[in-house]
Amino acid sequence: MTLTKARTGLGKLLEGLVLFLMASLALVVVVGVVFRKSGASLVWYDEVASILLAWLTYYGAALAALHRAHIGVPTLVDKLSGNLRLLVVLVAEVLVLAFLVILTWAGMQVLGVLGGTTLVSLPWVPATVAQSVIPIGAMFFIAAQLLSLPDAMKHPVSEPSRAFPDAGSPTGEGVQ
Amino acid sequence: MSLLGIGVVLLVLVLIGIPIAISLGLVSVLAMITGPGGIGSIPNVGLVMFSGATSFPLIAIPLFILAGAIMNASGISRRLVAFASAMVGFVRGGLSMVSISASLFFAEISGSAVADVAALGSILIPAMKNKGYSSSFAAAVTSSSATLAVIIPPSIPMILYGVMSGSSVVELFVAGIVPGVLGGLMMMFVAYLLARRHNFPTEEMFKLARVWETFKEAMWALSLPLIILGGIFGGWVTATEGAGLAVVAAVFIGGVVYRELDWGHLKTAILEGGTQTAVVMLLVAASALLGDYLTEVRVPQRVAEGIMSLTQDRWAILLLLNAFFLVIGLVLHSAAAIILVVPIVMPLVLAAGIDPVHFGLVVTLNLGIGQQTPPVASVLVTACSVAKADIWEVSKVNVYFVAVLLAVLLLVTYVPSIPMILVEIFYR
Repeated sequence: MTLTKARTGLGKLLEGLVLFLMASLALVVVVGVVFRKSGASLVWYDEVASILLAWLTYYGAALAALHRAHIGVPTLVDKLSGNLRLLVVLVAEVLVLAFLVILTWAGMQVLGVLGGTTLVSLPWVPATVAQSVIPIGAMFFIAAQLLSLPDAMKHPVSEPSRAFPDAGSPTGEGVQ
Repeated sequence: MSLLGIGVVLLVLVLIGIPIAISLGLVSVLAMITGPGGIGSIPNVGLVMFSGATSFPLIAIPLFILAGAIMNASGISRRLVAFASAMVGFVRGGLSMVSISASLFFAEISGSAVADVAALGSILIPAMKNKGYSSSFAAAVTSSSATLAVIIPPSIPMILYGVMSGSSVVELFVAGIVPGVLGGLMMMFVAYLLARRHNFPTEEMFKLARVWETFKEAMWALSLPLIILGGIFGGWVTATEGAGLAVVAAVFIGGVVYRELDWGHLKTAILEGGTQTAVVMLLVAASALLGDYLTEVRVPQRVAEGIMSLTQDRWAILLLLNAFFLVIGLVLHSAAAIILVVPIVMPLVLAAGIDPVHFGLVVTLNLGIGQQTPPVASVLVTACSVAKADIWEVSKVNVYFVAVLLAVLLLVTYVPSIPMILVEIFYR
């Protein structure tokens, strides 16, 4: 019960972030075009938009992990059954988590090195704010991975839980 | 770590079910640790995974998805179908013509074949079944025309290809127009032949008044994407900025003109689009990690030199690349295939004197065909689930439409002026 609650809570948080980032991205790009066309280009527009895309990448990736919607090749694992399948799923899971832990650690190191540097176009914004998405996003990814593990152990990998049931297309396959 | 070692480890990781993006990350970390930098180079993972995800041109992807989601939540599909039905519904098998032509129009907004199938298929497939079309025919025609529509701008695979190959997204968009229209006509002809054989019905009499009436309803939906594409093609805005304007246009059409924005549906579609973007972008970022390493050991150059030592004939190399991408398309999603393979074959393409824009069309079509062929066939699977039809039964009918796609591919590959004519006229 608490597991379901945690999963729903994390899902809601990440969904909120993704909605906010998608809307901000559209807004920044539109405002950027309007200002450029009226002859007063905003210096920060490309840099901020690119950073928003990176944020969308990692918070969205954590949301995708919660629904097990990352692109992979599950054909072989689906053919296995019983304990062998469970073993392979668990080994894969440990390796995924290992990479995410490395990514979190590497992201923290980068934050330490960047220290006092700032964005190129906005000197009052520390670069660490932009880069913080790597360790934070990776930690969310780890949480999402762990919370969705029990279901992943039960179901075949090729049938990811339908993330957004009324959206009409299986997640992770839309960008085709 | 040797190149072969990297390939083997990557394959094993992917086959045990680890997502491709994470597998790329793991292999890169392994290569870094065993490389000259040792453990000390690991913090680079954090830097590259961040900078790899900050690509300004790729912002066009979530924005076009967002625009498509908004348009779709405001009743645009229904209006496009009504207009297409008034135009071509009088032909035998009219609904299949409607499906093909509406698909080509819808492609101007969504840029994604799966979105196309989900939006139009949910209206047209049930309609076709009601009129006595078999569900396998309905699914096949919807699925294949959606794939064809991907080469009509805007196109998400083309944006990805443009960024990964360093070629102009705008020129790629322009290059898709002639082959897209040509393919649409060929597909309608095949649908007509099949309709006559199975005696499918016609829809409505051709009435100019009806065309005008439906055109007035669909006009906004039809014209604004054209204006935005005009802005991109005319060099007034970049592809990313055009995508931003498309979002504004979609909000305006849905909220002000049609006044039927369905918020619940919209929220779902934005979340879906945001997640899809993230999935692709994570692959892009992780491939930057491995890309740094591959460039260091000059893999793309070595591939180019190896093949060029076998043959220097441009057409033979194109044939080889075609076969290669068709096979890749069978087992990989097109986004993953573009991100992984395009940077590796680009030096070969350039050395053989193939125009990167021409090659972009070849790649997009090849991978599009891959979406129609099991086991990995995202578009076909979506169409089948909408039609509640068996994937193999659908494939039996789909063979005819896939043949059209193959014919377009051959034309595009070996008659480069078909994709390139508009590019040559306007940009070179």
